[in-house]
Amino acid sequence: MSGPVYLDHASAWPVDPRVAEAMAEALSWGWASPDALHGWARRPADTLEQARAEVATLVGAAPESVIFTSGPHEARALAIMGTRPQSGEGIVTTAAEHPATLAICRSAARDAGGPTIVGVDTEGRVRPDALAAALTGDTRLVCLTAAQPEIGTLQDLPSLIAAIRERSSTAVIHVDAGDAIGLCPIDMTTLDADLVTIGGSTLGAPAWTGALIVRPGTRLTPLIGGGAQEHGKRGGPVNVPAALGLGRAAALTAAERTARISHVAALDGLLVDGLLGIPDVRLNGPRHGRLPGIVQVSLGWVEAQSAVLALAADGVACSAGSACTAVTRKAAPILEAIGLEPPWTHSAVLFSLGPTNTADEIERSLTTIRTRVLALRQASPIAPR
Amino acid sequence: MRAGPAKSVDALGTWCPVPIQLLAAVIAKLPTGAVVELLADDPLIEVDLPAWCHDEGHTLVAITRDPSDDTVFRSYVRRL
Repeated sequence: MSGPVYLDHASAWPVDPRVAEAMAEALSWGWASPDALHGWARRPADTLEQARAEVATLVGAAPESVIFTSGPHEARALAIMGTRPQSGEGIVTTAAEHPATLAICRSAARDAGGPTIVGVDTEGRVRPDALAAALTGDTRLVCLTAAQPEIGTLQDLPSLIAAIRERSSTAVIHVDAGDAIGLCPIDMTTLDADLVTIGGSTLGAPAWTGALIVRPGTRLTPLIGGGAQEHGKRGGPVNVPAALGLGRAAALTAAERTARISHVAALDGLLVDGLLGIPDVRLNGPRHGRLPGIVQVSLGWVEAQSAVLALAADGVACSAGSACTAVTRKAAPILEAIGLEPPWTHSAVLFSLGPTNTADEIERSLTTIRTRVLALRQASPIAPR
Repeated sequence: MRAGPAKSVDALGTWCPVPIQLLAAVIAKLPTGAVVELLADDPLIEVDLPAWCHDEGHTLVAITRDPSDDTVFRSYVRRL
């Protein structure tokens, strides 16, 4: 195999060179406070508002709805902690959420005995009737992901949100598109959500860029108060080069997303077909109705960390199970939620694709993966003989 | 007068002096006579807003509690 192949887009996409160039150039003038009254402030202020408009356009929102954050993680935290459930009010979320969302919900709902977590089916889908049944008159916040970030299951957001609205007219709805927005369009002109998290990574901006989109009138307490920046919802100096990067990436995505989706979906099909051609490999998540490029498989009788290290040595970059739980070596909550048991939970490897991957890279990776998996099984003490 | 403010400022969840800063930034860009709506849940707004309007010369048209949520103050200010 010649040349390394990057199949770890779930942890971070490479930054689009056009975005990187614009951000690097902005470091030379983007240091000035956009709130100042002098001439140095003019360009940062104009840039910030242009970026805000570009991000807003991508999701069908008004520019003043955009709050720039240090990435999707902060946006999720702002959405959940900023909604501030009061005594007696609860949070409803789902087993399909990003692990960070589940952790923040547990923290925010500690006084209420923890959040109510709605289960998923064996492919990671949330059922609208199950979600509605979890709501009570005291539900303050409902958190939904657009796509499960580890197995890629796309949720039927319109049906889920309709089920919530039918049951509660006061619950605040947060949609997490932090790991999906680049390949999963969100349009707030038709999606009846109050808060939407987006992240820069799947747009081609750095993973440490993001925003929370707040529907006007939604009551939100800042995590970082004490300043009027970002409409008072996030105090402190605004990272102008980062905002510029997110805005530029949003504009490029708006123009190129359809082509990107087609390209990644084609590679996804190629990869899934090849992986399922290896004996005892199973796809976690649905074959269809999945975020393009999120391909998690259980390799059967092969410990995931061993496979990831072996593949890394051969130049194929991927991650064990979930990009976020790779370090802890624990079974990802979503795998337990879809009913997977050991050793399948511990042989789960996530191959995640992006628009810069090629068919040749996929073909070469499949050859390497097959060779490595079969060799590791030969050495496995638990593999059937 | 309350119908059709030129602009609405969402200062919910922010504390003194941020609501006034947000309002000041918006009202500065509007023509004389324009009315701005301010939504705030900082109780100090009942003190801060009349004082600021007095200092700046703007007219405080109304400051009321929102009927659907009595912790929210809905105010209207006409620019000088």
